Amino acid sequence: MLVLDAGATAYEASSRATGYLSLRGETPAESPLAQEAEKLWDGLDEELGYPTEWTQKGRIWAAFNERELDELKQLYGTFRKTNVPFEFLSGDDLREMMPCLSESCLGGIWTHRSGHANPQRTSQAFAWAFNDRGGEIREYTPVLEILTEGGKAKGVRTLQGELHSDKLALCAAAHNTLLLEPLGIHFPLAPVRLEALVTTPMPPLFEQAFIGNGLSIRQTKRGNLHMNGGPYEWVDLEIGKEAAKPNTQIVRNILRRAIETMPVLKGAQFLRSWAGIVDMAPDQMTTIHKFDSPEGLVTAACSGHGFGMAPAVGIAVSELLLKGETRMPIDQLSLDRFNKVSTDWRAKRRWEAGQYNT
Amino acid sequence: MQGKIVVVGASAGGCRVALAAQAAGHDVTLVDEHPQAMKDMSFDAPWFYGAGLPSALLNDNSIAQAVLEGSPELIECLESGVDVRVSTVLWGAFRNGPNSVNVGRPRVGLVNRDGNEILEHDTLVIATGVRDFVPSFKGWELPGVFGGKAGIAMLDLYQVFEGRKAVVLGTSELALRFIRSALARGTEIVAVIEAGQEVYAGPEAAAWLAERGIPVHLRHVVHEALGKTEVSGAICVSLDGDATFAVDCDSIAVAIATLPNIELPAAMGCKMHYDPGLASWVPEVDARGETSLESVYWLRDDASSEALLASIKGETNADRFPPHAAQTQPTLDYIKTWISALHESGGDDVNICQCETVTRGEFCGIAPPSYLGQGLRHAQSPIVHSDAARAPRINQDFMKRMTRVSMGHCQGKRCRDEASIALALRFGVDPDAIRPASYRFPLRPIDLALIADDDESEDIRLHWQMWPYETRQD
Ligand SMILES: Cc1cc2nc3c(=O)[nH]c(=O)nc-3n(C[C@H](O)[C@H](O)[C@H](O)COP(=O)(O)OP(=O)(O)OC[C@H]3O[C@@H](n4cnc5c(N)ncnc54)[C@H](O)[C@@H]3O)c2cc1C
Repeated sequence: MLVLDAGATAYEASSRATGYLSLRGETPAESPLAQEAEKLWDGLDEELGYPTEWTQKGRIWAAFNERELDELKQLYGTFRKTNVPFEFLSGDDLREMMPCLSESCLGGIWTHRSGHANPQRTSQAFAWAFNDRGGEIREYTPVLEILTEGGKAKGVRTLQGELHSDKLALCAAAHNTLLLEPLGIHFPLAPVRLEALVTTPMPPLFEQAFIGNGLSIRQTKRGNLHMNGGPYEWVDLEIGKEAAKPNTQIVRNILRRAIETMPVLKGAQFLRSWAGIVDMAPDQMTTIHKFDSPEGLVTAACSGHGFGMAPAVGIAVSELLLKGETRMPIDQLSLDRFNKVSTDWRAKRRWEAGQYNT
Repeated sequence: MQGKIVVVGASAGGCRVALAAQAAGHDVTLVDEHPQAMKDMSFDAPWFYGAGLPSALLNDNSIAQAVLEGSPELIECLESGVDVRVSTVLWGAFRNGPNSVNVGRPRVGLVNRDGNEILEHDTLVIATGVRDFVPSFKGWELPGVFGGKAGIAMLDLYQVFEGRKAVVLGTSELALRFIRSALARGTEIVAVIEAGQEVYAGPEAAAWLAERGIPVHLRHVVHEALGKTEVSGAICVSLDGDATFAVDCDSIAVAIATLPNIELPAAMGCKMHYDPGLASWVPEVDARGETSLESVYWLRDDASSEALLASIKGETNADRFPPHAAQTQPTLDYIKTWISALHESGGDDVNICQCETVTRGEFCGIAPPSYLGQGLRHAQSPIVHSDAARAPRINQDFMKRMTRVSMGHCQGKRCRDEASIALALRFGVDPDAIRPASYRFPLRPIDLALIADDDESEDIRLHWQMWPYETRQD
């Protein structure tokens, strides 16, 4: 088994994520897969042999004004279509759980399940565990083209030459779209730049995966507050090229919102910021697809929540590739659901490069 | 050069550029973080002040006066109408570029004790000078250990230096400048320690030291800074045999080398290349100092502003200024000499990272931080696995993420250089084959309350993503 990456191991989204596992109350069709991932997370440190900082202490979606509260209540209806134990709690209930939460929090959705981990450590843990089992990761080896012959996968062309194999897994996030296009396959993904930051370490404040006031905020094992949020900037990518991921002054707005959300953060210091690229599908769900033609090709992309999903997605992709079928619940996640998505869908959604919105 | 100009760094070179640009009719803002608040100094940026900051620094007014008086160029800038911002940190710079096209006019983020401001401009001149290179040794966390630049600043700029008896590590020009300033203020230099075979600044400097009866110990390094709450002495060790000697002192000035302060151009994404003469990655610049980013200039040192000054004055033949001459003795070799001597004689059990308390051995062995209470199932190597000719051999970001060395509140200012050279030495890799740990905004840790915005526009509020209903459709 050979893994090729255009850059270094875990240098893109997988090391830039906030690190939540989402059980997908908002998109119940992928909730079963997320719940499979959750089971795997519980044994991941032991299985991989390297620390991931997995913290299973529940998750909160909080509302900070009446409009958000109404929207969250509506969304709660969707959440309840899953078999995950979600509850709707008052602001006071949430504050009891998370005393640092501001008085302006009016309530929200809670589940004691779900959790978070350290993306950098986790992605590297997967890479090391793969090496330990005899796998090879070849870094700085961009794939420029997928090669097929007679309706079958044949290999890839890289900067260093051709590599042949009749089994290919394409997991290049939003680059999937570009690499599949020459084969006449439309994988609708829109890349978008998103900003994140950490503060200096604080004393232990909370362990839940928190979402509210337009931010995701978790406290790391070290004590830093790790958060992301903001308007999205849609971008375009180029095959085999590392995308620029600059930060902007929007980090100031993130920090102000952080203080609004948890006033105690006034006492922290802004330490480091970065940005990452998310691969958004039209319905913002995970895609896992095995092609009949070219035979031997499987692709996947996770629409902005692939960090938490990764353990289950990995099993699904490898089983599809090696056995042709998988025990993972992915029936509703194939590319077929996009058959009616037109090629100008990004323009219609206002998700084209340069646009700065939702 | 055009339009509104921001010059960051009120060094002699920075001030000269600001004055010339002002005289040529530009609107100029000059930013410098000095005089720094004591709290900001505790991050050891830009210089390595160490933990022993004199309490006289708390007297803001007299400090401000001393700093201004110590810089006639700065006073000249003030007098000629340059918008001078002292005690102000430039924490970030934002401009339109690939994958970020909504910034508008280039802007820098400024912050001082009262709050923050976003300043639009057209041209940015980076004259941020140098920072201290201070490698680890046992006890280097103690108050009384500091870098050469910081020592000179405490003596001459802030005028609060309290040391009476100093040991000096290194014999470069930097060390000699520290020694001259220290002697002038009545501080005794009890020993000068040099890892190399000879006085690095040359035979004249050696003679100058000898004339003053200052003991110079060649082929020695410091083994340990002694003291419980502050430095009370040092144990030095010979690199030929293991003979040691102890010396009483209250200060250890680590004056081995300075490195260019590249955090701003690096974080902005200027194209960089490795310069062994300076032992650092530096921005690629043209004859006038313009980086790969249009209208962003980097002044390597005070002397390199000549061509830029000429072009501001409208002289067209800026190319007549020769490119910077290569240094005869590369700083890289000297730094390597010191680090290998310190690591060989001091061993693996010395903290390389003060913020996160990580030893050299833990760092090079990629050990997870001790608070996780979990090791690696199998030993791992940091060497990149690739056939690509131009691939880096080691990613320092990988080491940083796994070990937390350079992840702490000093943002790597204390440890990143030693860490990268240590990797080069241990794994037999050229320093330019190590992809340097990325620099990120903010350039200094900043209180959240100071930097949080108070001007979120309707537009931003409207388009702010509200997880999890980011799917909200029009
Ligand atoms: C700021 C931020 C916060 C996030 N928060 C969360 C969260 O809390 N929870 C969550 O579940 N998810 C989160 N995500 C999303 C999550 O990071 C991604 O869904 C997930 O990491 C995707 O993994 P991936 O392997 O598909 O993509 P990536 O990690 O981006 O990996 C794709 C890889 O493909 C390589 N590649 C691309 N093109 C080529 C080529 N031509 N040849 C060879 N290699 C190529 C790239 O170099 C890269 O290494 C967040 C993302 C961001 C940016």
